[in-house]
Amino acid sequence: MILYDFDLERPNTLEEASALLRDKGADARVLAGGTDLLPNMRVEVVRPATVVSLGAITPRDPVRETDGTVRIDALTRLATLEGSDLIRAACPMLAEAAHRVAGNQIRQMGTLGGNLCQETRCLYYNQKHDYQFKAPCYKRGGEVCYPYPNNDRDTCWSVYMSDTAPALIALGAEVEIVGPGGTRRQPVEQLFTGSGLTPHALGAGEILSAVLVPPAEPRFGWGYHKSSRRGGLEFGMAVMAVGLTLDGDGATCRGARMVIGAVREKPIRLTATEQAMTGAKLDEAKIAELAAAAAKEINPLPHHGFTKSYIRDNIKIHMRRVLSEATARARGTGTAENGGHHD
Amino acid sequence: MTETPKRPKSNSRLIALCVNGEWHEVTVKPRHMLVEVLREMIGLTGTKDGCEQGTCGACTVLLDERPVLSCMTLAADCDGRQLRTVEGLAEGEKLSVLQQAFLDQGAVQCGFCTPGMLLSATALLERTPKPTTDEIKKALEGNLCRCTGYNAIVAAVLQASDQGVTPLMK
Repeated sequence: MILYDFDLERPNTLEEASALLRDKGADARVLAGGTDLLPNMRVEVVRPATVVSLGAITPRDPVRETDGTVRIDALTRLATLEGSDLIRAACPMLAEAAHRVAGNQIRQMGTLGGNLCQETRCLYYNQKHDYQFKAPCYKRGGEVCYPYPNNDRDTCWSVYMSDTAPALIALGAEVEIVGPGGTRRQPVEQLFTGSGLTPHALGAGEILSAVLVPPAEPRFGWGYHKSSRRGGLEFGMAVMAVGLTLDGDGATCRGARMVIGAVREKPIRLTATEQAMTGAKLDEAKIAELAAAAAKEINPLPHHGFTKSYIRDNIKIHMRRVLSEATARARGTGTAENGGHHD
Repeated sequence: MTETPKRPKSNSRLIALCVNGEWHEVTVKPRHMLVEVLREMIGLTGTKDGCEQGTCGACTVLLDERPVLSCMTLAADCDGRQLRTVEGLAEGEKLSVLQQAFLDQGAVQCGFCTPGMLLSATALLERTPKPTTDEIKKALEGNLCRCTGYNAIVAAVLQASDQGVTPLMK
């Protein structure tokens, strides 16, 4: 139940929605699946005066363009992605990541664009501030940080929890953004500021319109793992996504993208470990060494009851498995090549 | 003096919802969630309002045959759409096969999660008539039950899909 009245607009195109957002200014929010915005409005993390619903706009089906790029409408439901033959064949890591989000109902409602544009989370920030936590925190425009009382005013260590963003970054995907100045394209990585206060680099009136996944190179392999307490219907403790390509010998790494999500204010690319990996022969010992290096390179925020060292240890173990899977898939010996979900 | 006609508040709107095959016209505010409209305006209290933040699944309804959470769906966004709630599963006094299986297997204890469980499972069975145990668990992942321990619920879905599970409580 949302306890205050707001206005609702239901435009028929993204361009109209963008114009409405610009007209209403900072008091307007865009609503797609609603699974992030509406609970946040309920606990009054955000209190938009106007909600611009995209519910009247029907997403187009994902398509493969002539150059092999897969174009996915930002309003595509996560459930559509996990069930799409095209996505499972062309970018199975994205199908797997979508499959890992929350529970079935939320995947039936939530959209890919909304998953990327979700707010950062913090145990304190995401509670209704009418009982234990009366004074608003920095992120709510107040003067206090409950989990980190010594934090500076401009520092908020809330965590960005998207399960699909690390996969898209590891795939080298881009987003298309509709705004007052027309349409622009940029890598998914550049969508994030790294600030917990304002996690997204979107201007006034800008809305994600599509996600573009480039075609996989020859001998490409991927690995993905979402660590969490229960394994379903929850946010991640750490999300690991790796995309790598091998040389013709089937052992030497030609290049890699290694991304960890749900541990910082944005998904983090492990550039040092990526560099150490490039040119290395990926045997069992090397993979274990790289996984340890990854756990060392990442500096996770303790969040939702997980300590920094626990998250690091978890990453060290699961990153080894993720790297082994990616290498096996790149060699063509993977077991779940067709986006097969291992539950 | 002429009386000023009563007007709905400016941001209220009239919407039509087809619930279990019957059309209802209701005046809703943008802030009204689908579950509030179903329970408090249309009077169908089978749909339960639990956590209101997408973590329990008690409010699951089928919106255009997809299981969604009615506590996180704006009613004003559902104008003209088809809904199914737990009240629409039985035909008169005759329970659906799935409902009967829930009773046979003892899959209902306090019953608060049951409407959501039934609708998630109905959506699964309509798409996949013979689901595996894993598929059932995955489809019901978004529905929490604090009583049964889930095994009876999975058995009920297996029984309803006619997969060699015999009724326990007959």
